Amino acid sequence: MASEDFVPVTADDWYQRRRKDAEGEFFRKVASQGPRKGENDGTRQGIYVMTADGELLSFKNAGQNAEVTRDEIKRALAKFKNLPASRKNPGAVTVEPAGRLDPNYSRTPPPGGAILRTFTRILEKSGAAYSKGSCKTKGGDMAARDFAWFTAEEVRALVPAKAEVGFEYPLPKPIAERLTQFHLIDNTRGEPSFWTREQVRTSNFTLTVSAATAESIDLRLDGQATMATDADIAKADRGYEVRVLGTLRYKPATGTLDRFELTAIGEHWGDTDLTRGARTGRTPLGVVFSLVVGEKPSDRVPPQGARESGRYFGK
Amino acid sequence: MFRRSLMGLSATLLTTAAFAAEPSLSDAESRAVSRAVRPASSEDAFALIPWETSLWEARIKAAKLGKPILLWEMDGHPLGCG
Repeated sequence: MASEDFVPVTADDWYQRRRKDAEGEFFRKVASQGPRKGENDGTRQGIYVMTADGELLSFKNAGQNAEVTRDEIKRALAKFKNLPASRKNPGAVTVEPAGRLDPNYSRTPPPGGAILRTFTRILEKSGAAYSKGSCKTKGGDMAARDFAWFTAEEVRALVPAKAEVGFEYPLPKPIAERLTQFHLIDNTRGEPSFWTREQVRTSNFTLTVSAATAESIDLRLDGQATMATDADIAKADRGYEVRVLGTLRYKPATGTLDRFELTAIGEHWGDTDLTRGARTGRTPLGVVFSLVVGEKPSDRVPPQGARESGRYFGK
Repeated sequence: MFRRSLMGLSATLLTTAAFAAEPSLSDAESRAVSRAVRPASSEDAFALIPWETSLWEARIKAAKLGKPILLWEMDGHPLGCG
């Protein structure tokens, strides 16, 4: 239904309710027809059905019973079909280009850089086997998603000084900091808190050349990191001790990566105001990263950490 | 000079000890973790929907196709936060 009868679109309300451009004004105009008018900069999150010319046809809080939401969307579709042809037929409404986007509240991937897709999940360990974990928080056992962005300059900094098998060198600091502060986190129960630079207590990542030809350089990435809210790890109310292993492939001809697979596993403990309901004590948390090669809009969703883009990119 | 060398040696030994206590992640363990973390197709059905991520682009498309817009908006991007 979502694909055939609608134009489906997703958005982060943090940007939408703040952006000062045509898209933001349009969204707020539609949302204000419903119950969430954004008083005191409040959230407008939810599931909306609207017309291209800006009439709200339905609104539901997200996370409600799926059947209820589906019925509401069906009713909205029926309302749309009852509109006059001058408002619903293909081409009946004209929408001009959006014009200038608010640079403070729009994000695009760094040109020539790399995008990684990440999944994070609570796990159980039995011997050498890992399986999905379970928790009391609804949806907390599902794989959480995010994206990681790296600039072209950061990608080029991955190139070894010597393209010789066995040559070892440290992972460039900006990449190590991005991974530890923004991506080795527990985002399985909602909006996560990121680690500050000080909360990254140890971080040792090594790249090793595993193969090198004129066409490509293969790298192995391994290491470990400890993030904790207290310098005394035993006293930290939240932390993550993690090991990583990955493989990268750099293409000198294009200056790009065509492989970046990374797995992280370790024990996580604690939660934050927005992610209550963590399991008790230290429990396994896994994070996997893989290179995005697609060009779909859904492949270019900004990292959660990029809301504060200066901090995210280490500026 | 000697004192600084000793401090450097101590730091090296401490770092080495920390690494020794925390073995590297093996290829087999990495594969096992990756399999357990990645979503099964059954739990990822919403990702098959061809979501737009610009409401304005969705407006243009909806006007052209004669369809309503279905907007899923969350604090934290629905396709990229948790």
